[in-house]
Amino acid sequence: MSNPSQLWQQYLAHGKAEAVPVISAHAHYGPYMGIYFPGRGEADSMLKMMDRAGMVRAVCAPHAALIEPSRGHALLAEVISTHPNRFAGYWCINPNYPSALEASLEEFARSPGFVGLKLLSDYHRQPITSPNYAPALEYADEHELPVLMHTWGHSPFDGPALWSEVAARHPRATFLMGHSGYGEWDLALDVARRHDNVYLELCAAYHVNGIIERMVRQVGSQKVLYGEDLPWFDPQYAIGCVLCARISDEDRHNILHRNAERLFGWG
Amino acid sequence: MIKLYDCNASFGVADVPPPRYAATPDELIAEMDFCNVDEALVTCAAQWCDSPLVGNELVVKEAQGHVRLHPAWMLLPPQTGEQGSSVDALLSDMARAGVRALWALPARNKYLLNATTFGSVFEEFVEHDIPLFLPLTEAVPGLAGHAATHLGWQLVDTLLGQFPRLTLVATEQSVWGQDRYFRPLIERYAKLYLDISTYEQGRGLEDFCRRYGADRLLFGTHYPEVPMGGPVLNLLNADIPNEHKELIGSGNLTRLLREVRL
Repeated sequence: MSNPSQLWQQYLAHGKAEAVPVISAHAHYGPYMGIYFPGRGEADSMLKMMDRAGMVRAVCAPHAALIEPSRGHALLAEVISTHPNRFAGYWCINPNYPSALEASLEEFARSPGFVGLKLLSDYHRQPITSPNYAPALEYADEHELPVLMHTWGHSPFDGPALWSEVAARHPRATFLMGHSGYGEWDLALDVARRHDNVYLELCAAYHVNGIIERMVRQVGSQKVLYGEDLPWFDPQYAIGCVLCARISDEDRHNILHRNAERLFGWG
Repeated sequence: MIKLYDCNASFGVADVPPPRYAATPDELIAEMDFCNVDEALVTCAAQWCDSPLVGNELVVKEAQGHVRLHPAWMLLPPQTGEQGSSVDALLSDMARAGVRALWALPARNKYLLNATTFGSVFEEFVEHDIPLFLPLTEAVPGLAGHAATHLGWQLVDTLLGQFPRLTLVATEQSVWGQDRYFRPLIERYAKLYLDISTYEQGRGLEDFCRRYGADRLLFGTHYPEVPMGGPVLNLLNADIPNEHKELIGSGNLTRLLREVRL
């Protein structure tokens, strides 16, 4: 029997579905060392993919900002000012420069279009429980911000085992577990189930066959967000994984746009 | 409708299964129906996780009667005599079993995939146009992720340097950006093909086809590790001409299998 989902049928026929204004809660921006991006991974190229897949908005952590925040944020600020309804930004925290953090967060507060923080502990080689992260996490808690975290299974820096403590200590912040603690699924799903302020984010996880069904069954589709590391991965691939998961179209709406609309206030 | 002929699908009970899988050919066909996939070149879990000898027999037996499933075998070194006394014997067995493609798993099955081990075998494969599938993650024992694919592409280069007319299908490339690895190889080796089951690269198909055309790409799903819907939409909604989708979707694989002479 062919997939009866109306959304699947519409994607097959048109490459998108009018009723699904997809939001990517996990995107990047610009060139990066380990990958060739057609169109350098910049706005025109990203918009082309977004338009073809019915994606209305992408929340981006510019690659450059993950290394040198001020340079990267300036790049994305320009893009946001040109396309305010298509791109939003995560403010990237590099914990290896703790003395710059306070000024950086002040700048975040003055920067339109940046809607949350992005932490990349695995790459920065600092555990999320490090004191170097504390000011950013406290700031997110105080201002009730979404925080997109890179999380990877068994990582000593951002593995799911560290997340219960962080989520419990900052109950007003909302934590998006980027990649859903890839590979350490039982623990990641358990953390998301136990903490109201922890969400699963699908980037890369979507290509693990059956994991979306498990997430929906054990945690609920209202706690799962769509993302695909745009411009790394083609949204059609990621959306195809969501559309062919054995879940309902209501679940798919939650994952592909409704949860992000609610979290980022775009409903 | 674009016909989809999956070059990389598997059924059966594995040692470490993904959360969702097809235990039987019937379940695999149900999955293919669900995701609009028409045919598949298949292996079974026993070929990967148990013994290639046991698995090779099993995949033929279980795929029998399923006209949409076409079995492929695992290759072993001729020196141990496990696949018959000669290359001719292997080719005859393949012909009897209706097998027209082989996979090489050098890491799991512990052999060197090179001219020392397979010199005379690959010369025959070239003569008979037999496609060999090589998962890049299988190139070196004990390695995973970036290190495995890095060495996997090196192995492709070495192997095709020795056998430039061998038809080689590179499968299971890392999802994290591989164009800088494979583009030079595509340009040098005319019979290198890429299974696109894990080629998630944003606008990757569009960019590749614009530069190289669509003749070197094969639609695959890498099921059951990957849900079929991802690779399906990635191809069907790619910004490339329909003729390219037809070639990638089924035309190239159909041609490769048709050209096999057994």
